[in-house]
Amino acid sequence: MKHVIIGVGAAGITAAKTIREMQPQADIIMISEDTYVHSRCMLHRYLSHERDEKALSFVPEDFFEKQQLTWFSGKKVTHILPQTHQIRLSDDATLDYDKLLIATGANSFIPPVGDFRQAANVFGLRHLSDAQRILAQAENAQRILIVGSGLVGMDAAYAFLEQKKQVTVVEMADRILPIQLDETAGNTYRKLFEAAGCHFIVSRKASATVMENGRITKVILDDQTEIPCDLVIVAAGVRAAIECVQDTSIKSERFIEVNDYMQTSDPDIYAAGDVAGLSGIWPNAMKQGQTAAYNMCGFPMQYVDRYAMKNTMNFYGITTLSLGRGIVQDGDEVILKEDHSSYRKAILRDGKLDSILLQGSIDYSGIYQYLIKNQVDISDKKDRIFDLSFADFYGIEPDGQYNWRI
Amino acid sequence: MKRIMIDATKCDGCKSCTIACMQAHRDTPGTIYDLDLTDIRNESRNHIVRMEDGSYRPIFCRHCDQPECMMSCMSGALTKDPVTGHVQYDETKCGSCFMCVMNCPYGVLKADTATRTKVIKCDFCIKDGEEPNCVLSCPTGAIYVKEVL
Repeated sequence: MKHVIIGVGAAGITAAKTIREMQPQADIIMISEDTYVHSRCMLHRYLSHERDEKALSFVPEDFFEKQQLTWFSGKKVTHILPQTHQIRLSDDATLDYDKLLIATGANSFIPPVGDFRQAANVFGLRHLSDAQRILAQAENAQRILIVGSGLVGMDAAYAFLEQKKQVTVVEMADRILPIQLDETAGNTYRKLFEAAGCHFIVSRKASATVMENGRITKVILDDQTEIPCDLVIVAAGVRAAIECVQDTSIKSERFIEVNDYMQTSDPDIYAAGDVAGLSGIWPNAMKQGQTAAYNMCGFPMQYVDRYAMKNTMNFYGITTLSLGRGIVQDGDEVILKEDHSSYRKAILRDGKLDSILLQGSIDYSGIYQYLIKNQVDISDKKDRIFDLSFADFYGIEPDGQYNWRI
Repeated sequence: MKRIMIDATKCDGCKSCTIACMQAHRDTPGTIYDLDLTDIRNESRNHIVRMEDGSYRPIFCRHCDQPECMMSCMSGALTKDPVTGHVQYDETKCGSCFMCVMNCPYGVLKADTATRTKVIKCDFCIKDGEEPNCVLSCPTGAIYVKEVL
């Protein structure tokens, strides 16, 4: 059996490991544009010089050897030929496959604002290659403009503040980290970032640019405010990396379409991770890679653990857990608890937990994802919502593993 | 693999296991008699919840067959040892994102209180080479080690 995996991110690597566990003899070939296996969630630690390329890896150094994987790095898959079960690479080499997994991830979306797409000093922050190009320019850049205050934007802001750069963050919404946090929780971070020297502009969009010698020197906001800058980081979301399937029969629109088995419209081709569009969260990408791998090896398995409205963050020693959309509807019950070191907010809908935000301590908070995911009725426990623990749902299997008793 | 089995009916909430865990993982040298219980750096990997009816429920890492913590780790810090089956944590790799805390369905994990840079996670006391210290200290047999499939 010959498995080919495109991509060495969370989904691709997990798939490779899983296939190897099940098929010790199979040929497993991995292809990636990335030349280092790296965790995208840690790129800001590279920008801040806390980690080098190798320390961004999420696999052991001897991973490919030990797992007996052939890895072609620095290569792009330009064509997939489902008819002949082949792929073609950027260097015109072709490779055969029996089963193919597309785990190409996503690329930063650079909106067509002014000359953002043409300028030499505008970057997304998605791949190590982005971070490497940013670093090369950052040394001579003092004024950094970050467009977007989501997790990537805030990560980038952190990295540059650590290097004492002058950082401005522009956010369209009326608060920072608008998807994950409400205003109170966002303001906790806003104050910490401001104390580190960050300048925030909310409820504003970048609308035009001034370019000199191929570089943006000023970004103009929708209220005509001019922001002089040496370097622009655009953190305005991502687009699935679907180029390799675009001229094929494999069904895709914004993402590659997959069924419950992570299988595309071609039965021998699978997709997992960001490219499949089911979730942009690391744990989910790992599970999708694992699920695809089982199916590629002939063990039917459905992707069921689909809950994706989840995140944690940790800036300046303040941790936050955010589950659910955090949007209050008519009839919802909102429970709030706040003190000097923590902020907690739960939204209950029909006696079940819809969203929860825990800032400060997130100790032992793993149970809340289970409560939301499985829509557990907690109406009789809601007065203790922030004090619930697994002890309230305690079950033990004969082999000693826990199970939930509801 | 070896797992710490729990018989909650035998637990009388004495917290010997909790103290033993703090002692086993303290950074400073010393015996249990000089363990500083007020130092937030001394943290236990297990905890016990007292229920309203007076019973106790020990919350201990299960080193799950399908570890959700490991399946959320973006730095490669959490790995399942293929030989022992234990889920081990490499502090030097950890990116302090705490997705593992979010993903453990049994609410066993927490961030370290002092620095919020590490995960407080059971290591089965492998460095001590015998049964985990919590088990050795349990006076009632509520926790014990058993070989499970």
